[in-house]
Amino acid sequence: MLIFTLRRLSLFVFTMLLLTLLSFSLCFLFPGDAVINISGAINATPEQLIQLNESYQTSRNIFFQYLAYLTHIMDGNLGLSMASQSVIGHEILNLLPATIELSIVALLIAMFVGIPLGFVAAIKHNKPADNIILSVSMLGYSIPVFWLGLLAILTFSISLGWFPSAGQISLLFEIELITGIQFIDILLSDSPYKWQAFSDATAHIILPACVIAVAPATIFIRLARTSMIEVLETSYIRAASAKGLTFQQIIFRHAIRNALIKIIRHVGLQFANLVTIAMVTEVIFSWPGIGRWLIVSIDQRDYTAIQSGLLVLSCFIFVVHILTDFIYAALNPLARGVKYGS
Amino acid sequence: MARDKIYLEEIFPSPFMQLWLIFRRTPVAMVGFSCFIFLIILAIFGPLLAPHSAIEGQLNMPLLPPAWHDDGNVSYLLGTDELGRDMLSRLMYGTSLTFGLSFIVVIISLVIGVLIGSLSALTSGIKASFLNHFLDVILSIPSLLLAIIIVAILGPGISNTVWAVVMVLIPQFVHITRYAVKEEFRKDYVLASRLDGAGPFRILSYSILPNIVDRIMSQATLAQSAAILDIATLGFLGLGAQIPLPEWGATLANGLDLFYIAPWTVYLPGLAILFAVVATNLVGEGIRHALKVRKER
Repeated sequence: MLIFTLRRLSLFVFTMLLLTLLSFSLCFLFPGDAVINISGAINATPEQLIQLNESYQTSRNIFFQYLAYLTHIMDGNLGLSMASQSVIGHEILNLLPATIELSIVALLIAMFVGIPLGFVAAIKHNKPADNIILSVSMLGYSIPVFWLGLLAILTFSISLGWFPSAGQISLLFEIELITGIQFIDILLSDSPYKWQAFSDATAHIILPACVIAVAPATIFIRLARTSMIEVLETSYIRAASAKGLTFQQIIFRHAIRNALIKIIRHVGLQFANLVTIAMVTEVIFSWPGIGRWLIVSIDQRDYTAIQSGLLVLSCFIFVVHILTDFIYAALNPLARGVKYGS
Repeated sequence: MARDKIYLEEIFPSPFMQLWLIFRRTPVAMVGFSCFIFLIILAIFGPLLAPHSAIEGQLNMPLLPPAWHDDGNVSYLLGTDELGRDMLSRLMYGTSLTFGLSFIVVIISLVIGVLIGSLSALTSGIKASFLNHFLDVILSIPSLLLAIIIVAILGPGISNTVWAVVMVLIPQFVHITRYAVKEEFRKDYVLASRLDGAGPFRILSYSILPNIVDRIMSQATLAQSAAILDIATLGFLGLGAQIPLPEWGATLANGLDLFYIAPWTVYLPGLAILFAVVATNLVGEGIRHALKVRKER
């Protein structure tokens, strides 16, 4: 496990370097002056510009410029937004938790719906139930997410009026920002209307989370189905049925555990996919998260914001990736061995 | 006069023909395939067949509902949008933008990806290992996010979207070709042709490529459905096709303000995207099914 941890840590450091290098090179790729792109100081006076050039070491060669950029990131200084001249670090700290909250809820929904359905399909392999689940899942990953979001708003918020159509919580409730994750903040606050606020926030999150969950859920269905079919063909399952265990005992005691392990390995990769879908969904549901902010920044040609937003978002995806790798290795001793090309 | 076969001749169809013979027997895949062909024809001839202009509207009849509605007009079969532009014509023009462009995108990235992939399969050592790690990092980033990054660098617009999606799809083709070529290289028939004195490029073009064409095609259908969704999503976000172009995603975003008054301006482009992606996926499923059946024989 120690060697595994060291391996992952070295991969982490290497990838972080690559990501910062990428975001550093973006400021040269974007049109305009590199120092202004990197700091976002569009209204800087000549004196300030000299100071900025000094701090980003533009007179020295590219390697020192990169080092200066790294030290700025380490200090948490991501520059100013070109559009609003506000500090990007603070904005991201306010926005990222909302995205994390939304994507985790969506991931949970996708897993709790997708995995059991996939198991059912595998157990009923080549029967009508299997075919129906497979066709529905194909429809699920073919549907464009923005269209699905609009249809969901039209049916569930406009026609039926069950859920609100936009935002994170009703403006009536004043919740102090502590962790940024709405549900924890509500529980921490000492407002007398705590539980009303809690149910309101729940009503707000259900619709976007379900829309995001559709595509990953269909992928979980396929993963669960293939891994269950593989497990059911192994010799230990045959041994268990030869021992005289009932079908239910075999499924619940042996098959599900071994099939689940194979699925957990893919959760990290699916999470990356899910965050991208969440970015689009945030735009439709006006969710105050980092995805919507990033897309608005692209629209406004706010290069500093794009650069930092991409860096933070890809770091976040990668951290989750590494975390699921650890969970997988902790659950499955076979995975801790030496693996090449990973 | 019919010429009967005098000699019993055994026919060995090529791998590609074998695949087609199995593919032809699955009805669902054939339905998907005919829809796919229909979309290709529409993408080529759509602008000629369209009854009205996609960009110039009839300002005196805005927001006409589809023809089956009581207020509908038969000459505007699927209704009009807020500027009186015929929805049917817009969708037909949009086929050549969303579907046609995604088809071209897939072909460009297929050619580049297969070239790089098969060349890289011939190399080994540090170059190959570097490429492998680099591909792993690139492949772990979702395609849409990567496309958004590239559009952010290049700036919004339909041609930049096309290049962005091409660049996003190339690594997938490189990856799959590399693995397939490496796998084939270990087989005996390659050894046989090497013993005959064939050089690596001859082996690659005469022995290996005909045998991996089916796997590349299966990847191409996956890439195509991703390309349609990516182009449409970028159009919807306002980063892809710009205002007058009837790209499906952009048309949908255009109808957004009138969603409650004229829901067909949102329903129809969405249905078109769904139809195109489902048709592509059905073809892909058919190919993968046929591959599996052929392997089990």
